[in-house]
Amino acid sequence: MSALPRARWLLWLYGLYLALPIYWLVRLALQPNAAILAGEGAAFGEGAFTVANFTEIFTNPVWYEGFLNSLSYVAINTIISVSVALPAAYAFSRYRFTGDRHLFFWLLSNRMAPPAVFLLPFFQLYSAVGLFDTPLAVALAHCLFTVPLSVWILEGFMSAVPRSLDEMARIDGHSLPYFFFRIFLPVIRGGIGVTVFFCFMFSWVELLLARTLTGSEAKPIVVVMTRTVSASGIDWGVLAAAGVLTILPGIAVVWFVRRHLVKGFALGRVS
Amino acid sequence: MVTTGGGRWPAVLVAGVLLAGCGGETDTTGGEPTSTATVDYVANAARWVDEEFSPSTLPRAAQLEELAWFTAAAEPFRGMRINVVSETLTTHEYESTVLTRAFEEITGIRVTHDLIQEGDVIEKLQTQMQSGQNVYDAYVNDSDLIGTHSRYGYVVPLSDFMAGEGADVTLPTLDLDDFIGRSFTTGPDGKLYQLPDQQFANLYWFRYDWFQRDDLKAAFRERYGYELGVPVNWSAYEDIADFFTNHVKTIDGERVYGHMDYGKKDPSLGWRFTDAWLSMAGAGDPGIPNGLPVDEWGIRVEGCRPAGATVARGGAANGPAAVYALRKYMDWLKVYAPPEASGMTFSEAGPVPAQGHIAQQVFWYTTFTADMIEPGLPVVNADGTPKWRMAPSPHGPYWSPGMKLGYQDTGSWTFLKSTPLDRRKAAWLYAQFVVSKTVSLKKTLVGLTPIRDSDLRSEAMTEAAPRLGGLVEFYRSPARTAWTPTGTNVPDYPKLAQLWWPNVADAVSGAVTPQAAMDALAEQQDRVLERLERAGIQGECGPKLNPPEDPAVWLARPGAPKPKLANEKPPGETVPYDDLIQAWREGRAF
Repeated sequence: MSALPRARWLLWLYGLYLALPIYWLVRLALQPNAAILAGEGAAFGEGAFTVANFTEIFTNPVWYEGFLNSLSYVAINTIISVSVALPAAYAFSRYRFTGDRHLFFWLLSNRMAPPAVFLLPFFQLYSAVGLFDTPLAVALAHCLFTVPLSVWILEGFMSAVPRSLDEMARIDGHSLPYFFFRIFLPVIRGGIGVTVFFCFMFSWVELLLARTLTGSEAKPIVVVMTRTVSASGIDWGVLAAAGVLTILPGIAVVWFVRRHLVKGFALGRVS
Repeated sequence: MVTTGGGRWPAVLVAGVLLAGCGGETDTTGGEPTSTATVDYVANAARWVDEEFSPSTLPRAAQLEELAWFTAAAEPFRGMRINVVSETLTTHEYESTVLTRAFEEITGIRVTHDLIQEGDVIEKLQTQMQSGQNVYDAYVNDSDLIGTHSRYGYVVPLSDFMAGEGADVTLPTLDLDDFIGRSFTTGPDGKLYQLPDQQFANLYWFRYDWFQRDDLKAAFRERYGYELGVPVNWSAYEDIADFFTNHVKTIDGERVYGHMDYGKKDPSLGWRFTDAWLSMAGAGDPGIPNGLPVDEWGIRVEGCRPAGATVARGGAANGPAAVYALRKYMDWLKVYAPPEASGMTFSEAGPVPAQGHIAQQVFWYTTFTADMIEPGLPVVNADGTPKWRMAPSPHGPYWSPGMKLGYQDTGSWTFLKSTPLDRRKAAWLYAQFVVSKTVSLKKTLVGLTPIRDSDLRSEAMTEAAPRLGGLVEFYRSPARTAWTPTGTNVPDYPKLAQLWWPNVADAVSGAVTPQAAMDALAEQQDRVLERLERAGIQGECGPKLNPPEDPAVWLARPGAPKPKLANEKPPGETVPYDDLIQAWREGRAF
């Protein structure tokens, strides 16, 4: 029994070690750039303190609009992905049809292509239909990667639900839509949460497509962050502050799905 | 078991759809007229002149007249929204936040001036060039790309535009001859391709206060046999570096170094070389703004056609002078710079001299001026004057008079043919506005990136000069013409520039010798030129490679590539800084 506290103690130590870069990021975000460059505050808890970096982000429209742009295409992408993937995953999980396995695997193979391959075609296409520089363009481009992933995750969760549930609902006289929305979805809501998380994470940190498919109107936060790099050096303070703020939505999403996350990493195939 | 709370998820989804719908609607149409009927442009112009655009080289009446021209010329475009982009610099921040507002209130044209990393600006530019789709209505792009723009035909030649379809929106008082960077943005065909917007140089930086100390001066004289001063050649630079790093070692109790540089394997390592390091060593031919027929990239042109970078084809990228340049860079980094320097990038190393323990730096961008004159820094006196100065870059043993001596960069307005004409015209108005004489002096004082001769000669610059460590004196001197950007010998800057840093990094890491690194680089440059030649898309100034010959034959011919010198370390030579400044003030190049 005495081994348990020690194991826990080690775990805490390891957790602390993992949190160090985050501490460092927050520390930089709360220092003026001149102090960072002068190497002040290298020791724990010393050095100048300022909230000016955060003030810059919250008062400069370029910065907060960048956040809003990113959040809007991430939201659109997540909603499209989940709403398209739900029926698709249900079909793969419950019906057998010609080529279903191949089609299922082909979906995943979309994720194997690097996003760079799709850059120019997407750019040409969206320019031609007037979608260039809109959040919708980025959201749709990201769907290419998030929809297959969502189908795979949801299929795993759905297959874990016994078919007898479907059959009982049918015997009780429920229609398919009623069963699907009122009975089935609540059962796999953990899976939906995990899917939302993965869609969110992919779309939130993806840089290549988001950068190429936007100009000045829908510029995502990851692109705005590059403005801290210039011929007169890097504004580390503001960059770190933006970094801290980009972590927050991720933390929020993780918080909501924390209990189902491990299952999600296994594409739902853990019972 | 069916859990409670069924239907919660669908509700969340519906809410999400509504939310996303709101967030997703962004106006991208541009060009939509907004209500501008009641705007008093004349009053706005007067207010901006009184509250912001002072000082100016123009009298108030002339400023108002110039702004009135903008108001009238912009009338057809009133209510339009245009997008322009540039890298992040103080000058561009001022444009993006203040000048766009002024421009809108004076012309009714709303400009979104985006600031992104320079590499991303190039990427957006290339996207538009390759796809033909309008991404931005105008770009501020370094004049290093002049050889690229003048050959590919994507960029609007401004000379033609101003005389032709843009004549009605070209400012009569633009005064092109006043731009000090005009020759940098002129193609081999004599046409102006870009309009300078900001300009900065790469100079020698040193601690004036230390160089004035009698004890240090005496110790230096005793050890090296000549005076401590601004080094004229690399021998002297090396001696001074050795003096501070290995002999002085500490000043006022702090470890000091006689050299600062950077050496991390990173794209910014390429600038360390493509920003004229080889020309400082003396690898190329004489010629201003760039050596002809061989420039500082070691690329030879025949007429206007790039003919090769290897010595075998008449280039100098792997000649003795280029190898010497690389070797000296490496030696100095290892022997004289602080140990952490070799792990730094451009951005990380740049602010280091401001911390007060660096005696001199051979390769220093004037963009760091503003960060080095802030009160309270270890390199600033109590009265606000700097303890440091900038001075001409020293040159290597292969250098001869008439050659460029360093790097200068002018970020310039660049317009693409694929931008619709009305948007291009509106953007051209904005570009002229931010460089107009009404605005330019104020902008120069804010961003310290001078572009106009008239601004440099102004009273306001004289007043600012003592705080700026020699910036004004340098730009006023006739010497400044020896600092120039990449020239027209480089037919495709993005493709060729990316070859440099991996090869330099291989040498720095010790994986290959400097000779092998430059051989590989020169060979790779030749291959890019060869591909461009085969593609045949660059017209009559596109590359046409010379047939390879025995390198010894090329080295024996006069000019670059130059044969190896028997003695690459001639005696050190220095000049007193104050004599140099005096010469500059009198209009001499020293």
